[in-house]
Amino acid sequence: MLPAVELERSLLRRLRDRDERAFRELIEAHRDRVFNITFRMLGNRAEAEDVAQEVFITVFKSIDSFREESKFSTWLYRVTVNHCKNRIKYLARRHDRDRDELDDTTTNGVNGTIGAPPPAAPDHALAGAQMEKLLQEAIANLEEEHRVVVVLRDVEDLSIEEICEITDLPDGTVKSRLHRARLALRKKLQRHV
Amino acid sequence: MSDDTTEEDEIVAKLSDYLDGALKGAERDDVAAKIEGDDVWKRAHAELVETRKALSGLRKAHAPPSFAQDVTSTIHTRSAGRFFGRRTFGDRVPFGALVAIAVLGLVVIAYFMWASQTGSLEGHRERAPRSSGSAESVVPKP
Repeated sequence: MLPAVELERSLLRRLRDRDERAFRELIEAHRDRVFNITFRMLGNRAEAEDVAQEVFITVFKSIDSFREESKFSTWLYRVTVNHCKNRIKYLARRHDRDRDELDDTTTNGVNGTIGAPPPAAPDHALAGAQMEKLLQEAIANLEEEHRVVVVLRDVEDLSIEEICEITDLPDGTVKSRLHRARLALRKKLQRHV
Repeated sequence: MSDDTTEEDEIVAKLSDYLDGALKGAERDDVAAKIEGDDVWKRAHAELVETRKALSGLRKAHAPPSFAQDVTSTIHTRSAGRFFGRRTFGDRVPFGALVAIAVLGLVVIAYFMWASQTGSLEGHRERAPRSSGSAESVVPKP
């Protein structure tokens, strides 16, 4: 069996040859992670789906510009974060504050849009759904630059080094944004956690 | 900004680094001791731990099952079906390289045309006088 690095190189070669099957394999491998980032960053399922699609289309179109100086996933997440930032700015310009879908996706987790929650007592399930809604609202209210780091670090569990590479920011800036984001979240959730 | 807020910021910054494993040696021990012995630090630490736990415990959102199909369909539509499939020679070789090869080819052709005895670029060279067919030889001497 080929090691992961070799598999990735082989996939990249096929992607550069515009092999449709390779594109599908790439999507299958990364779609949920990319979608989770876009969903947590944007807080809206339809927007998240649209942006996630654009991410993969951008990756396909610009695969030749990927020089393999970083991990492919790092490059992919950079494209994802950039698309999210652009969409956040676009939505802010349109004063789109409609987050109604958030309620649907957080409370209707069993409809296949979000991974099915583990069996829980009704009270606990409700409390969990409420907490998730609270958290998502709290994330959505963070400044965009704070939202990026907190989603990558605390939701996606990426290392500070990876976040520095993805955001192209120095270590100190990432940490300070993370402190501020956590401070803001802590204040918003203080009465609930 | 009030002193309380500044102090709170500093506590959260330290705790944040502490939880990320970014503190070493004496600094880490100092924060650990404060969490142990100072109620403000203890409470802030507990709240941060809970906040991080809640964030990492958020359910993972999954893309719809038709996602891959949707993306490839979009690419097909936008590129009018030209995107996928093996690329043409022009796509594989950079344009600059193609231009360089073309210029080199033209230079070689031009050289051969110039060097050839009958080449069309030979015009500027001095031609040898013809031995026959000149006006002098045709006109009879008186």
